[in-house]
Formats: sequence, C-alpha cells, structure tokens
Amino acid sequence: MRIVVAEDLYLLRDGIVRLIEAYGHQVVATATTGPETLDALLKWRPDVAVVDVRMPPTQSDEGLRAALAARDEVPGLPILILSQHVEQLYARELLADGSGGIGYLLKDSVFDADQFIDALERVAGGGTAMDPAVIAKLLSSGSSSRRLGQLTEREHSVLGLMAEGLSNQAIGRRLFLSESAIGKYTTSLFGKLGITDDDNGNRRVLAVLTYLNES
Amino acid sequence: MRQPAAWGASACVGFARACVVVVVSMLVPAVWAAAVALWIWWGADAWTWIAPFIWACIGTFVLSRPVCRMFRSLVATWTDTVIPAGYRQAGPVTRMSTGYWWNGFSYERTRRDALMDQRMRIRWRDPAVWRDLRFMGIAPITAGVIAAIPPAGVAAAVLGFSQPELSTRLIGVLGLVVAIAGAPYAWRPVEPVAVRFLRPSPAMALADRVDELTAQRADTTVAQAAEIRRIERDLHDGAQARLVGLGLSLAIAEKLMETDPDQAKALMREARAGATASLTELRELVQGINPSVLNERGLIDAVRALALDSPLEATVSADVRLLLDPPIESALYFGTAELMTNAVKHAHATRARIAIDRDGTGIVVDVEDNGRGGAGVRAGSGLDGLRRRLAVFDGTLEITSPAGGPTHVRMTVPCESS
Repeated sequence: MRIVVAEDLYLLRDGIVRLIEAYGHQVVATATTGPETLDALLKWRPDVAVVDVRMPPTQSDEGLRAALAARDEVPGLPILILSQHVEQLYARELLADGSGGIGYLLKDSVFDADQFIDALERVAGGGTAMDPAVIAKLLSSGSSSRRLGQLTEREHSVLGLMAEGLSNQAIGRRLFLSESAIGKYTTSLFGKLGITDDDNGNRRVLAVLTYLNES
Repeated sequence: MRQPAAWGASACVGFARACVVVVVSMLVPAVWAAAVALWIWWGADAWTWIAPFIWACIGTFVLSRPVCRMFRSLVATWTDTVIPAGYRQAGPVTRMSTGYWWNGFSYERTRRDALMDQRMRIRWRDPAVWRDLRFMGIAPITAGVIAAIPPAGVAAAVLGFSQPELSTRLIGVLGLVVAIAGAPYAWRPVEPVAVRFLRPSPAMALADRVDELTAQRADTTVAQAAEIRRIERDLHDGAQARLVGLGLSLAIAEKLMETDPDQAKALMREARAGATASLTELRELVQGINPSVLNERGLIDAVRALALDSPLEATVSADVRLLLDPPIESALYFGTAELMTNAVKHAHATRARIAIDRDGTGIVVDVEDNGRGGAGVRAGSGLDGLRRRLAVFDGTLEITSPAGGPTHVRMTVPCESS
C-alpha cells in the first residue's frame, strides 16, 4: 500500500513510518503541518493516510481540517486519524459524508502493532476503524440512547464491535459465538434500528454510525 | 370630569407625601430646636448650653442612619429609584483556636464583646456616616422647605378663616390656593436631592471595589494553589509511578531476554499495558486542566462536545462567533460542565438546553434542565465556587430553581472582545 503519514512530532512520525515499513507497506510522503498534509494528500492520493489531529501552524485541529478538505476534493479518500484524545464531535464530522474509508483511533493504538496495521488495512479497503472509546461514547450518549434502549445487551456489544469495523467472523471470535449467531443478532438489531439489511459489511457499519449521527 | 378628579387624587396623594417628607426631614432640626428650648428654659447663661448641645449632637448622630434609611425607602416606593446604601458590612466573627473571638479588628474574650467592638469600629470608620450627617443638614433646607409649602398653606388658610377681618381672610384664601396648587409637586424635590447627596460617593464605591477585589484575589490564589497541588499529586501517584514501573519491567526483560525469553515477552507485554495506562491517566489529567476541544475549537464546539458526551439529551444553540480570552472561555466551559453534572447528579434531569449568546455587554450562557430543582448557592458548595470563579472576571451567576424544577442558570461575563 502507498501511505502518507502526517504527524508533527518527529519521534512519533519516525516510529509510525518504521512500523508501517516493517509490515511491508510503503510510505510515499510525510507531512508536518496542516497545509503540507493537504498538499501531500491531493498530490499523492495514497491508498490510506495516517493523520494527526493537532498540527502546526495553529496547533489546533489543522490535521482534521486538512483531512476533511481532502475528502471534499477526493470523495472516499481513506484516512486514519490518530489523536491524543477521542471526541465524539470529531468522529461525527468524519462520518458525516457517509462514505467509508474512515478511521479514528487513539495514538495508543500503535502500541499494538498488529491491530494498528489491521485497522490501517481495513480503512484502506473502504471500511471503518473507530476507537472503542468513541464507540462507547456514541452508544452511551443521551441523544441516541432512546432507540438504542430497545437493544439487548448482547446486541449492544455486537453493534459496538461492528462499529469498530470488525467483520461478523471477527465479532464472533471476540464474543465466543458462531458467525451465524452474530448474523442473527445483526439482522435483529438492524430491524430494531429500522435499517434495511445489506450484504456489504462496511456499508452496514456506516449505516449504523450515520443513524447514530442523525439521531 | 375625569381629569379634575385625577388631579384631585394626585393633589391629595402629593399633600400626604409632602407631610411625610416634612416630618422625616424635620426630625433632626426638631432635636436641635428642643435643645435650644431646653437651654432657654434653663436660663440661657454662658455655660448651661453645653449639656443640651451634647444631647443634640448625640441625637443627630443616632438619628442620621434611620432617617437616611427612611428617605431611601420613601424614594424607592414613590419613584422606583433605588439608591444603594453603601454602608460597610460587618465581616464574620470567628472563634480562634485560643478561645478568643476575632472580629476583623481585634481579639475579644466573648462573642458579644467582639460583635460590639466590631459594630463600633465599623460605625466610626464608615465614610457613609459623614455622608449621612451632611444629608441631615441639607435635607431640611431643600426638600424639607419645599415640601413644607402645602402644609404651611393649609395652616395659613385655617388661621386666616378663623379671624373675622377681611385682610386675614384674603391671606387665608391665598394660602389655600398655594396649598392646592403646590400639593402634587411639592414632595418631588426629595428624589433629586436624595439621589445627589445620599448615593455612595465615588471614593466609597472605590473602597468597596478594592475590598471586593482583594477578597477575590485571595480566593483565586488559594484555588490556584490547590489546583497545582492536585495536578502534582495526580502526576506523582499516577503516571510518574507507572513510568518507573515501566522502566523496571523493561530492565528485567532485558536481563531475562537470553535466559528466559518467554517471561521477557510477558514482561514486555506488561510494560506496554503500563504505557497505555499511564497515557490514559495523562490524557484524563490534561482534559481536566484544559480540554483539547476547547483548545482546538473554542467554547461553542467544546460545549457541543460536552453535550454529546453527556447522558442528558442536550441541545446547544449558539448563533454567534466568539473570540474570548482563554481564561474566560475556560471558566465558562467548566461552569457549563459543572451545571450539566449537577443536572444529572442532583436534579435527575433527562433533558437540558444550553444557549450561548452575546448581549450588549458580554457573553451570556443559559443552562436549563428539566430536573427537580431546588438548587441554591450555599457557602462552600459547587455553585458558590462557580460564582466566585466567574466573579474573578466580574461575571455573575443567576439561578432560578424552584422546588420541583425546572432549574435555569444564567452565567454572564462582561467582555469587549468580539
């Protein structure tokens, strides 16, 4: 995969580049400021980009803005946002366009190299990779709790894992259930949420998140 | 027909008010007149004036404050003009560990002594005393004299009609005309006179403001020191300790690498978990000091993020663009966060409405919930702390929270930036 890494801290940028290269992917460009990131994204159009939220020159949410601007230009450009903290507000903004290829993870996630690369590949493939912290907040926040209240506890956890971007098979492994059982849960929870079923797993996840976004 | 009736009513009301003004403003002159009468009765020689004079002075001093209070309340009820009193307030009287009572000036053996001493000192040092005494001299010869015209006219009429001569009757008619014509207006000078001379002087207002600011500075310093101690403790007990543990695990893993690779691997996994945990702690600490969204996006988006994370169904409305000083932004943010926490924890609310707006003088943040109400500012409570934090910026906190709800809190902070 061709990857762009945008991160202003040298140590972290270097570490991420090494990690990615250790797994056999290619880093085509790095960026250290918001404008640089936008330029690199539009010039290289990578298979996936790893972008830090807070970057120079303003040290505010430059990276996030650059990512959103790039996705305006190139719809569906896969971007994995890495942040020191996770905010529902930012997650909702990223998901607002309803297309896939979005990830939003805590920086700690690079500690588990396998999972990080897995998330990166999922995003590159048009899927989503949301931090469990974001999912927990999305599921517990007051605005969406009414309709989600109808879900059983098991359906809740299935929905959470699905929103993280896991496949039915992976969810089954996590919850020690068979894949067909997970299939039943997803069908029933989609029924409760009023979302028509679809074969494409990513689109289903996005449908769930969009639903959360709109409620 | 209606107009003369209304005029007559206002004349009657005016006459009554004029009489009240005369009585109130002549109380002190009456004391002096009594003193002079006493002196004359005693024989009016070179030395007998001393005792009546002292009595009159004491009488004036004792009467000045109640009379000024009466004037203020009369003006407030008749014209809706509220004149601030500006008297010095007594501070708390506290018992020290030695058993003595401290009243802000001196130590006394009993609480009663401390209170008496405090009252005397405040009374003597209060610049309002001189203002009141000056007003006692001014009121009778301005508002008092003018208000005396209608009653004097009536008196002249009564006296004039009791005599059979034509000339005195003429004076009587004249007095009646003056009384009736002047009645609706004669009491009115009391308002401008009271406003001009009874208001706290700029020097007094300034002294009060200095006191207030000194107290605020002390509050802020204490709060800041406590906050720094909290951060230090959290770092010391949390992240710092974990990082030491991390270093230890890594050192042992390094040692075990060749002899026992499996255990070394386990230790390294542990170290990774430790690093994650210390990151989480640091993140929470940083959020507590300065929430990232506030830093990155400003107050409105930070409050939006707060609303999203809250278990309440919260709506945020804000049609303005704000560019605030970071300390003000932070105070308003943490204020809103506290109010929302209160709504969940104490009021058991399920919905909240937050409105951020700007009026002519500053920023207004309204927080309303549908909880059970009954919130109030008690000394040492969270709301009291919030009020003090806002007071640092001359901000205010207004709470309407009847038992049974809903609670409506309004935070305002004046600011010139746009």
